[in-house]
Amino acid sequence: MNELQSIIFGALTGSSFALIALGVSLTWGFLKVINISHFGLVLIGSYLTFQVATSTGMDPIATVVVTAPAMFVLGATIQWVFERFQVSELNSLLIGYGLLIIIIQVVQNTWSADFQRMDPSLNPYFTRSIAIGQLRFPVATLLAAGFAIALVLVAHFVLEKTYAGRALQAFGQDRQIAGAFGIDHRLLGILLAGTIGASGAIAGMLYALGQTLSPDAPFEWIGRVFAIVILGGIGNVTGTLYAGLLVGAVSGIVAFIWSASVAPLVVFSLVVLALIFRPQGLFLRKGGH
Amino acid sequence: MKDRGWLVLTVAAIGMLALPFLRDQFGFPVFYLVFLSGVLFWTAQATSWNILSGYSGYFSFGQGAFFGVGVYSVAFFFARRGLSWWVGVLLGGLLSMLLALILGTIAFRLRQLRGEIFALLTLAIPFILAAVVRLSRTIDGGQGVGIPVPSYPDMIGPFQHFYFVLSALVALIALALAYGMQRTRYGWALFAIHDDEQVAEGLGVPTFRYKMIAIAVTGLLGGLSGAVFALNLGHVSPEGTFNLRVPLFAIVMSALGGRRHWAGPMVGALYIYTLQNRLSAAGFEGWSLIVLGAILISLILFAPDGLMSRFTRRPWTVTAVLVGVLVAMTALGTGLIIDRLAVALLVAAVTAFLPRRATADTRPPETARGLSGLEQDPGGDEARPPELGRPLVSVADVTKSFGGVRALAGVSITVSEGELVGLVGPNGSGKTTLVNVISGTLRPTSGSITVAGFDIAGLQPHRISHLGLARTYQIPRPFPTLTVRDNVAIAIMFGREPRGLYSSREAADEHLAMVGLAELAHAYPPGINLHERQLLEMARAIATRPKVLLLDEALAGLNPVEIDNAVAVVRRIHRSGVAIVLVEHLLRVVNQLSTRIIVLDQGLLLAEGEPAEVLKDPAVVATYLGKQPHA
Amino acid sequence: MSKATRTVSILAAVMLVAAACGDDSAQTTTTTSASPTTTQAAATTTEAAPTGEPIVVGGSLALTGAVGATGTIHRIAGQLYVERLNAAGGLLGRPVVFEPLDDESDPTRVGDLYEQLISQDGVDLIMGPYATPWILQAQAVAERHGFVLPHHTAVLAPALGYECQFPGWSIGPEPNVFIPNQVADALDSIGGMSTVALVTNSSGSTAFVSHGVPDVEGSRGALDVFPERGYQVVADESYPPGNTEWGAIALSIRNADPDFVMVNGLGIEANGLIDAMSQLDYSPRMIFALFPAPGAVLAMGEAAEGMLSVSMFESNESILANASDQVREIVAEFEARAAAAGVAYTTFETQAAASWNAWDILTQGVEGAGSLDHREICDYLQQNGANLTFAGQMSFPRDDNNFWPTNQVLKQVQDGDWVVVWPADQAAAPLRGPGN
Repeated sequence: MNELQSIIFGALTGSSFALIALGVSLTWGFLKVINISHFGLVLIGSYLTFQVATSTGMDPIATVVVTAPAMFVLGATIQWVFERFQVSELNSLLIGYGLLIIIIQVVQNTWSADFQRMDPSLNPYFTRSIAIGQLRFPVATLLAAGFAIALVLVAHFVLEKTYAGRALQAFGQDRQIAGAFGIDHRLLGILLAGTIGASGAIAGMLYALGQTLSPDAPFEWIGRVFAIVILGGIGNVTGTLYAGLLVGAVSGIVAFIWSASVAPLVVFSLVVLALIFRPQGLFLRKGGH
Repeated sequence: MKDRGWLVLTVAAIGMLALPFLRDQFGFPVFYLVFLSGVLFWTAQATSWNILSGYSGYFSFGQGAFFGVGVYSVAFFFARRGLSWWVGVLLGGLLSMLLALILGTIAFRLRQLRGEIFALLTLAIPFILAAVVRLSRTIDGGQGVGIPVPSYPDMIGPFQHFYFVLSALVALIALALAYGMQRTRYGWALFAIHDDEQVAEGLGVPTFRYKMIAIAVTGLLGGLSGAVFALNLGHVSPEGTFNLRVPLFAIVMSALGGRRHWAGPMVGALYIYTLQNRLSAAGFEGWSLIVLGAILISLILFAPDGLMSRFTRRPWTVTAVLVGVLVAMTALGTGLIIDRLAVALLVAAVTAFLPRRATADTRPPETARGLSGLEQDPGGDEARPPELGRPLVSVADVTKSFGGVRALAGVSITVSEGELVGLVGPNGSGKTTLVNVISGTLRPTSGSITVAGFDIAGLQPHRISHLGLARTYQIPRPFPTLTVRDNVAIAIMFGREPRGLYSSREAADEHLAMVGLAELAHAYPPGINLHERQLLEMARAIATRPKVLLLDEALAGLNPVEIDNAVAVVRRIHRSGVAIVLVEHLLRVVNQLSTRIIVLDQGLLLAEGEPAEVLKDPAVVATYLGKQPHA
Repeated sequence: MSKATRTVSILAAVMLVAAACGDDSAQTTTTTSASPTTTQAAATTTEAAPTGEPIVVGGSLALTGAVGATGTIHRIAGQLYVERLNAAGGLLGRPVVFEPLDDESDPTRVGDLYEQLISQDGVDLIMGPYATPWILQAQAVAERHGFVLPHHTAVLAPALGYECQFPGWSIGPEPNVFIPNQVADALDSIGGMSTVALVTNSSGSTAFVSHGVPDVEGSRGALDVFPERGYQVVADESYPPGNTEWGAIALSIRNADPDFVMVNGLGIEANGLIDAMSQLDYSPRMIFALFPAPGAVLAMGEAAEGMLSVSMFESNESILANASDQVREIVAEFEARAAAAGVAYTTFETQAAASWNAWDILTQGVEGAGSLDHREICDYLQQNGANLTFAGQMSFPRDDNNFWPTNQVLKQVQDGDWVVVWPADQAAAPLRGPGN
């Protein structure tokens, strides 16, 4: 029972990382940009949620009404810049990094380097959990998992069943040819990036529901998120979700049985083994990538 | 010209190492040595990263692992176990190299890991090492290790001198290695691997060995540099060592400076380190990171290939600007030396963004291109079958299945010296698969193949190429970042009579002339048309001095004029003594050129013999039913 | 391309202007080369304005990055101190200037920054950076140049061997033994407790307090001390720095159900652990956090009530009432400054007090020696100690690496505030046991 609880804790946390990973994975897979600045969007989203909830007393979950459109615009703008300058994959990584450090600094200048935490009266989700028998499901991460699943389902549907989605897939596989078929990849790319930015705002909101905020947080996320992105297969939405859950669950159970200091050792060793034995990625999409 | 480079480097090295001892003469504060030590450290790390990832394209996120092994070698052997500091440093380099070799074996041999999979593998390693170091009370235990001040000969002076000399030594070794690689065929082989590893392997480049050397050098340099760096720290900790700082900065610096040039990482290190240093010293109070990020973004957006590629286009202008700004600011007395350096660097970068001068890429008019320098064949000449010799390629009952699809269902053919064999058949008949199997790109499911008398089962493609077999690709695969001439030169460098970089370039001209590409020697493949690229494929193939050449649909997509030209080229090649297997759809061409025709259908041999007979064979006609028997 | 070039040129021009402006500010603070060490008569000109060339105190602080929150506190405290110092006549009659550089929470940059300050900028004095790993780097540089290094936040006494470093915050020469014993004393006074769970951030001082020094025979920490004092350690969990997942540890603690949980962690780690335990419908009877972010803990509201921690000073009413006017002034002024800087938790407490002590050490050393010669300052402090505003007269015993006998107290969250509760004679309010 304890083991199961630790797996639940871990998997749910893993799903909130998967949520961030989905953003990175989709832009990497379909737009061929490694957008580290997505972490910055999540950070801004979390601080905006904090600020809006604190200033207006709004329920923190409702703040996405404000933050999601803002991050949509920011995400779309960043993609527009990448398009305009025909930025290569590696250079997008570097530009994303430049943007990230700017964003972190701006956040710090606005909200100070000090820790910020929503008042418990505004945000009861810090301590709330849903009880099912002996097991507990923390609400904040449960919401994250729910949203991640919803996002994956929607993305899967859009990609496989709609024209826009298939156009994106084509674009991801061969940009020039797709362009020759009249797919306006620029607009499509910008819309996708905007949507992903909005998802980043939601990921930020969910993060703020459960954590004390500090501007430096993104650097703690990068390692694990990239591991999830690549394990799940770049551009593979369901794979990314599974990878997040898996990484989280393993981390949780190892931390419980053994020690939290051992967890990263086990997780990353498993990553290495997975790469050796299944170098094409753990979760194959049909058609591969 | 070659020797001058080494001379300059040696002089610079001596000058740099002598710098601390000249400090009294020039009277500059020791801080400048400290500053330079920082630049040298990052030069070594960035150069180290660049050798594997920049040159050969295997993007590594794991520079922190090599750095960390170096740091903790000093922490363990020197600080904890009390051995001499230089033992710690040497062990740092060696252990790091060992780690690199293990990584390389896993990534390059056990599995052919590429791209993001390789990047993730390298990303995971520092996390694992951090956890191990933190958990092991022998090595660290989590609280960190204090590093005592090393003892060194008094004549060197204060500690900063000592540290500077060590940093300079490591950086100079790194630069020398990077420079040396770029001057020899080894570096160019890495470039070829970067562009198209499979093709490079097919041309004779021993890709596995070279990648192992590259990763070993990266590990060695990263470890040495990290170990020296640790001597300067009073205290090391796992979280301070194995974080993303070193890998991210090494990548940023190399990309900013330019990943193709040996001095690129050094330039990038100079820029980033100086700017960061000045921004934080200027006390911008909450703006320094914003400014740094903005500068980084601008530089990458406007110099996507790195600064060095801009600087090398107009070296004198850039130098003049750099010196000019420094002199001007010194005369005006504004700022301190490093401030002036920062401003001068920025201004120099801006000048590099000025509009490009037209490059010497003069292209001859369309019609004349490709046909100049070629002896015009009198039209309608029949192929004169030269002397037939011994068998060069024997394919015995070869099958190849892809899952449930049988591409080849038991094919046996022989190609002998002097032949020009046309290999035809409808789409999907297995022609390209057969070529792939003979050249070693694919392994047959069953059956055997011998080339020049040797059974090629299990041989790597570059060894098969050394046996005298060359092939072209249906869709030309030139190395896009190498000039036309260098594309051919690679083939010579690693062909059956390997040569050095410069003599290969000279020899390449001869083959370019054979196919009529002499005028485009300095052009880049993305800038030449399809026909020229196909000719380049051929030139590259014959540059390996093959005994037998496999031409895979070398005429695809050409207009009639180009086709005639290509036919003339093929004939020339044949006459120079190379047996050819010509995979083609165009039956008129096959008819014109071949001494013998082989027809494949659905993975089986359908017919074989003299062109005239085979093309009249009713079974052959039936497979082409509906198609025009003449192109 | 020309449009892009224009954009770039404008951008570059802006950068240049910005850099040039930056140069100016850097220049004004570094116009002084190493000042001549004129030994002035130690005239105490209390009201006269300071004159002459400024004395430059150099230093770095983590103003941005992971530990930027607390570094900012030290900047505010330091600058306030210098202002008051200048208002009271300066140092040796000269005005003092202090503009800390930002080491961006990166210990490996500290060495370079202090080298720059000492050998390029030619500062007269230095003040240590924030937090132990950073201070250890600065110690190496200070030792090389023979500079006196006063610092405010390194408590890992065994690692600070340089004879001219002086701590503004001391938990004595053996915090790893002192702290668990002090806590055990407090627990004894409550009575009825027998089991302890230990949770440790396995890095630096926190690991030191839990487990002692790894490669020294017989070095003890909380894990050893508690059993000696009759408390059974029923759980010993550790986590790596930067950990954000507390579910597994919360689970282990809930299962062990101890009377007391000692979290030797930093920042918001205790917050995360408490949240995770709440999610399991469990709240520990009593909990202690070693170096938490005080404001972030209070922001937890009800869930944080009763948490214990270590302290050197708290702005509690009774404590302030018994303090001097000067202390009250300092506290009020600091809180105003902190609020203006946007700091979330503006209360003047241990961190700021430690900073104040460090500046006291520096200025008293200089005034006492009557010069800016570091050897003389160091000797003076060794021989005479210093009178610390927030600790009283203290000496710096060489045998204990200059760590003076500690004045550490325990504080507790009571009704939304941190209140000193132990030892009883220094308490502002009585120690509350579990169940209040």
